[in-house]
Amino acid sequence: MKTSLKIRWRIPVSLLLVSLAVLSAGTAGAIPAFTRKYKTSCSTCHYAFPQLNAFGKAFRNNGYRYPGGDENFRKEDPVELGSEAYKRVWPDAIWPSDIPATGPFAIHAIGRYNMSFNQPDTVANNTFEFPHEVELLYGGTIGQEVSFFGEVEFETEGDEIEIAFPFRLEINHRRAFNVSLGSQTIDPTPNHMRLTRTKYNVSTLKSRNQWRLEDGQSGMQLWGAGNGSGGKGGWKYGAGIVNGQGVVDANRDKDVFVGMTYKIGGLGEIGGTEGQASETSAFYRDNSLTIGGLLYSGREAGATVAEKEDLTVLLGTADFWYARLIVNGSILSMKSDIAGLSDRKSLAWYAQGQYVLYPWLIGIARLESTDSNTDDATAARTTLVPAVVGMLRANVKFTLDYKRPISDYDLRKAAEEGFTAQANFSF
Amino acid sequence: MKTKRALTTALLAGSLLISSGPTVAGTIKGKVTIARARNLADMVVYVEKAPGDFTPPKKHAVMDQKNLVFIPHVLPAVVGSTVDFLNSDQVLHNVFTPDKCAKKFNLGTWPRGEVRSMKFDQIGCSAVLLCNVHPEMEAYVVVLQNPYFAVTDKSGLYAIPDVPEGTYTLRVWNKKSLEFSQQVTVPKQGDATADLKLKG
Repeated sequence: MKTSLKIRWRIPVSLLLVSLAVLSAGTAGAIPAFTRKYKTSCSTCHYAFPQLNAFGKAFRNNGYRYPGGDENFRKEDPVELGSEAYKRVWPDAIWPSDIPATGPFAIHAIGRYNMSFNQPDTVANNTFEFPHEVELLYGGTIGQEVSFFGEVEFETEGDEIEIAFPFRLEINHRRAFNVSLGSQTIDPTPNHMRLTRTKYNVSTLKSRNQWRLEDGQSGMQLWGAGNGSGGKGGWKYGAGIVNGQGVVDANRDKDVFVGMTYKIGGLGEIGGTEGQASETSAFYRDNSLTIGGLLYSGREAGATVAEKEDLTVLLGTADFWYARLIVNGSILSMKSDIAGLSDRKSLAWYAQGQYVLYPWLIGIARLESTDSNTDDATAARTTLVPAVVGMLRANVKFTLDYKRPISDYDLRKAAEEGFTAQANFSF
Repeated sequence: MKTKRALTTALLAGSLLISSGPTVAGTIKGKVTIARARNLADMVVYVEKAPGDFTPPKKHAVMDQKNLVFIPHVLPAVVGSTVDFLNSDQVLHNVFTPDKCAKKFNLGTWPRGEVRSMKFDQIGCSAVLLCNVHPEMEAYVVVLQNPYFAVTDKSGLYAIPDVPEGTYTLRVWNKKSLEFSQQVTVPKQGDATADLKLKG
């Protein structure tokens, strides 16, 4: 799971200085370095990058290794940092391992054309945004039990350039027991794997002290995965402790979270071929149902110590894949307590359908509802996000994404409505 | 009487010899070259048409999927042959072809250890085999009239054994569909050499 942490200083681009932003945007999860390592196509692991298919998730759950014996599938031998026999010499020697022989790097670039409606004449209502984002991605394995993933990301946000450089080091002791140190993504949707330009509302909903699920955080996580009965489906869990806000913790308290998913049917969560024979197959198929839940609890700093916010977040997810169709959704409940103020409850949910018209053409429609305060008179904001994704090549993608608030005409007039044409490529 | 018996025996022996098929055969060998080509492997050199009817071997030909690669990359086969497709990997594989001459078959997906088979019954068909789980995987089955064929090695060398005496048209199949044919004569005794130069 990926994250990015950005520290924001408000410095305009015109001064040619770089600003580091505090809050993250979703980061890509696709990394062509793996394509080179295994000499295999992007679609071996990706439904349409960065969204993972069933095998890609199993690859991830194996610590970025091929299930069933990584050494049989990699097409380049790593550089050894010590002979295997040094395992017998330990503790009188450093435990041996290896590193990728060629640089495990890749580039991902994103450009956009944005058009928003209902803007006053003095405001630009359509803009080319090239580049929107450029990422240097890196990931791989170190020996048999350590793996890493990270990126250096440059993103334009209005007149600012944001830089983020998250990374994560993992100890993959067993498939059921892994320790992740570094940038943690709590978001189980996960927002950074979405295909639309528009982010998931459950990920962007902010607490009163500006916490949101989308933001990656520094900390550590214990996680694991395993196959279910007959080698199909299976389980995955994660439990961790993180700062809660910012690269450096904003307060003395740490946040904690625990989550779990269970998959019924489909490819095993850690791969394998048992029970997988079928007369039809495709890289985008995986007939299965996955349900999951997340509990997050923390304390988020406010402008003063007295304004600290006790936060409890509950999230439920469902992900149904059948033939060419995917239907998924999430519902998030957030409870915010600040001393001296009324408690606030927020509720957000989305339901989304994706359909593979052709392996290179995917239609998407998402309905979202966001109620920042369920106790007040303001109605929930409902938004419709239709989109279409076209894979020009396995590593070149175009997306047309339209965001239409449908519950409140004033929001549409407030320039919430608009569409984006986005181009992604990576190598 | 003795002479008559000897003559009858000789005639009988001769007729047996004729009906048991040709017994004189040689090897056609040589080298295929293509200007500016670095890798000359995996071209099929074959006798276009040989007299007689050729039944496919009872033992099925085999194509494996191992380490995300089809093995062999090119498989020539006599028309009517059945090919057994194996999966020797710990990941799922699939075999299908977009080619009409092989009826655009799709064998589905199967796990390690299982075998699925397909019969190839159209002469001249060269079917590309793909895996829809791993798009980079590719192989070919080339369906031929007779068993006189060979696959070139990296240097372009080939050897077709047991070709009966006679004059034949030798052709080369390759992925780039470069056309080439050449006459070759297999003598009554000994081998024939044919070096084939294709234009790249």
